[in-house]
Amino acid sequence: MTDTREIELTVNGTERSIEVEPRRLLVHAIREDLDLTGTHIGCDTGNCGACTVLLDGEPIKSCLLFAAQADGSEVMTVEAMEDLPESDGLHPLQEGFHEEHGLQCGYCTPGMIMSGKALLDENPDPSEEEIREAISGNLCRCTGYQNIVKSIEYAAEELAAQPAADGGTVAVDGNDSTPPTEADTDAPDPFEGYEVADDGEFTCGAENCCGGPSTDAEHRGDNV
Amino acid sequence: MSSETDDVPVADTEYQHDEDGGPDPEKHHGHGRGGMGEEVKRKEDKRFITGRGNYVDDIKKPGMLHCEIVRSPHAHARIENIDTSRAMDVDGVVAVLTAEDLAAHELATMPTLMDDTQDVLVNDKVKFQSQEVAAVIATDRYIAKDGAEKVDVDYEVLDPVVTAEEALEADAPLIRDELEDQEDNHIFDWDVGDKEATDRVFEEADVTVEEQMEYQRLHPAPIETCGCVADWDPGKDKITVHLTSQAPHAHRTLFSQVSGIPEHKVRIVSPDIGGGFGNKVPIYPGYVVAAAASVVLEQPVKWMEERSENIQTTGFARDYDMTGELAATEDGIIKGVRTDVLANHGAYNAVAQPSKFPAGFFNIFTGSYDIEAAYGSLTAAFTNTAPGGVAYRCSFRVTEAVYLIERMVKVLAQELDMDPAEIRRRNFIQPEQFPYESPTGWNYDSGDYEKALDLALDMADYDHYREEQQRRIEEDADKLIGIGISSFTEVVGAGPGKSCDIAGIEMFDSADIRVNPTGNAVLRVGVQTQGQGHETTFAQIVAEELGMDVENISVEHGDTDTDPYGLGTYGSRSTPVAGAATAVAARKVRDKAKTIAANELEAAEEDIEWDRESGHFHVAGAPDRSITITEIAASAYMHHPSSEEPGLEAVNYYDPPEMTYPFGSYIVVVEIDRETGEVDFEKFVAVDDCGNRINPMVIEGQIHGGLAQGIGTAMMEHVTYDENGNCTGGDFMNYLLPTANEIPNFETGYTVTPSPHHPIGAKGVGESPTVGSPPAIVNAVVDAMAHAGTTHVEMR
Repeated sequence: MTDTREIELTVNGTERSIEVEPRRLLVHAIREDLDLTGTHIGCDTGNCGACTVLLDGEPIKSCLLFAAQADGSEVMTVEAMEDLPESDGLHPLQEGFHEEHGLQCGYCTPGMIMSGKALLDENPDPSEEEIREAISGNLCRCTGYQNIVKSIEYAAEELAAQPAADGGTVAVDGNDSTPPTEADTDAPDPFEGYEVADDGEFTCGAENCCGGPSTDAEHRGDNV
Repeated sequence: MSSETDDVPVADTEYQHDEDGGPDPEKHHGHGRGGMGEEVKRKEDKRFITGRGNYVDDIKKPGMLHCEIVRSPHAHARIENIDTSRAMDVDGVVAVLTAEDLAAHELATMPTLMDDTQDVLVNDKVKFQSQEVAAVIATDRYIAKDGAEKVDVDYEVLDPVVTAEEALEADAPLIRDELEDQEDNHIFDWDVGDKEATDRVFEEADVTVEEQMEYQRLHPAPIETCGCVADWDPGKDKITVHLTSQAPHAHRTLFSQVSGIPEHKVRIVSPDIGGGFGNKVPIYPGYVVAAAASVVLEQPVKWMEERSENIQTTGFARDYDMTGELAATEDGIIKGVRTDVLANHGAYNAVAQPSKFPAGFFNIFTGSYDIEAAYGSLTAAFTNTAPGGVAYRCSFRVTEAVYLIERMVKVLAQELDMDPAEIRRRNFIQPEQFPYESPTGWNYDSGDYEKALDLALDMADYDHYREEQQRRIEEDADKLIGIGISSFTEVVGAGPGKSCDIAGIEMFDSADIRVNPTGNAVLRVGVQTQGQGHETTFAQIVAEELGMDVENISVEHGDTDTDPYGLGTYGSRSTPVAGAATAVAARKVRDKAKTIAANELEAAEEDIEWDRESGHFHVAGAPDRSITITEIAASAYMHHPSSEEPGLEAVNYYDPPEMTYPFGSYIVVVEIDRETGEVDFEKFVAVDDCGNRINPMVIEGQIHGGLAQGIGTAMMEHVTYDENGNCTGGDFMNYLLPTANEIPNFETGYTVTPSPHHPIGAKGVGESPTVGSPPAIVNAVVDAMAHAGTTHVEMR
């Protein structure tokens, strides 16, 4: 099992090169090879979302992707939030979680914040229902979610109140971190080998599985 | 000058504020310094929202190895052979341990907290699926897994039993055949109360009702699983174990006893813990294996279980099959309660609870009601399932007790065709009856149950929903309304040393406050937060007691080398026990500070007054001759009075005189679709009374989280086994935790009935919502169908 390959990732704005086995999960590469331990592991079935990071601007569960699949991609983890231009020390999302008591043990928090960021990038003024849907692939055992919803609402308000800088785009260390278009990236398709539904939603291929952070609720939501 | 018991305010239902006795609940908006009652934002947040928390799996040590456990695919099987040779051939595998290797160090088995012995690794007979059989130690977690797949184990499969009922049948397979004198799967019988008096009350009663109900097996499933990094230092003959531990000091003692390493050479560190919920109280085989491997290999060894291992092998919760009975008069006065329970304890009796309470505090099953006679009996059985029982915000089986009584009150209300709020009102223990001695031996500290119920009814718009319910029935509507109530009494804060101990150690807790020369302070406590906010709320207690700014107080915990010995955090005991210790230690500091103040202000000590409002000492009648704790701290180090030692610090080990008994009334309104059976929460009202409130924001967070777990309990969660003993509910695909989509917004309210025996009048609260909400939810679902004659619906 020493068959490794070198992959290049832009992680939180910095280019990193690591040697990985093909089977190495992205979450382990992030945590153990890059020492970014804010991203957590809470399950072994793709349900909990504690490992959520942004891959080329999209929220993904990094336990459901091999590191090699992320070769050439841009990865953003919770550690980069403070460096975003809209952050004044802390990012409004981080501030929101603190102000609204949106965390307790803190274990789901990094993944929750990344799902919150993905939502607000797409939809700066989400309804409560849209927030709940967007974080329905992120399990929290401590808060009962109510204050997490408030935290994301707080961030949306804070961001809306900020003067739109740079035409509203967001940069990490000068790199544009908004989702790249086909034209401006030559990264290999991270979902190569996986089924991508027509609507662009990620499905991991396993029957009755998660479908990524934003669609998780569809097969879980009817339990109540 | 007293510092302990004289300081404790005496109160019935009103908190008595006196000069040194504690904060006045009427002034709970605080003094702006972050003391009692203020919604101080959490000090611990910053590291978590920036990804800088330090959890066990974040720890990396030079030369660190990884441990993967080989687990049994069978629920019940004899092991014929274990062949580790193919595993040892895997490049990167350093060692493969079996029971034989551990036996050489007398570590193949370990004692449980309930006088049983649990296998660490098995080489004779596995007793539940996924049980630990061997351990592979390798340079990387992937290689460890490769190795684990190459450990070849031959099994002779035996018939399993998975329910307590089956296990107690005469011809059931014997699970614990290694125990001498163990001829069946029976563990113990337990009973409480006056059987004769209770039977008499039932014979004479106008009305009796009976219902059978199952509190299904659950799992606390903290988002972070259990794990450790064990690091033996052969230079110091000392082992350091970073551990997902809710009770690091108790674990140090147990580690020492199990391993034979003297206690001063064992250091347990609980770093940040990603949720506990009772799951991280017991010692698990993985910890022992990692520690043994580190000692043998003289390298750090990390063991971090995966989710499926967590659900399938670590401490489960509940699994009580209960029969409940009530005896009452025609006008709804409850005269007696009787219950009989069949308890499934799994393959080992490894319940994490005080040693003298084999059924935990289940005997609080008379609830919030003044009942003449009560009797309860219970039989516990071994089964081929994972061990556990006490976990998941249960306060030592109070979840089960409250479910029983609150369900039964609803059953009785239906039988008598009475309003369930009214029947509770008629039976409540009245405020003037406290302290109230219950027929099963508890001594409730304080309560005003009707006040909490009235507030909840008002918040829930109860009358409106009763009318709406009737209207929908009359109109034969598609969606029915159900209203469920639960008016519960908790018992938390274990506990008084005379009755409560963990493996012989009395259940006190501790605080150690050191004020620095520049006027800030470090508080060290014997409890261990897993997200409940102790680093903030314990600082608030000190801020309140010493007139300091909360910013200037650091709270440390979890390191047994530096923190005072405590029993840990579970059973909502932190505020009742370590919170009390913190206040008492702070008052010791304040006593000394007063002496220093007198010296500095050149006044007699009797003339020095402590002004809680300003946080200053001043000379009586001359408020401008005052001194702050910062100035006093400097004096303590720079020119201390000759009558005193230099420095300013104090320790308290607090043996609580009693438990605390928080209470609440929860009201749940559901709408049920008659076609699909889908249940929607229309309204979810939770009124809690935990006495004086340290940080309302943190309490509210505890309530939200606990209610979500109550919804999970009632609607989604169930660890299931098939007839072959396969755990069919053992991962997040099958053990369903509520997501943001299933959890409604909660409306919380509170009343304040301080605990008269607690130094700051505070009671525990963390587990109340999970204790109180499942019966309210089930009562609501049953209520929606009550007109059709439904009296009970199981949660599973």
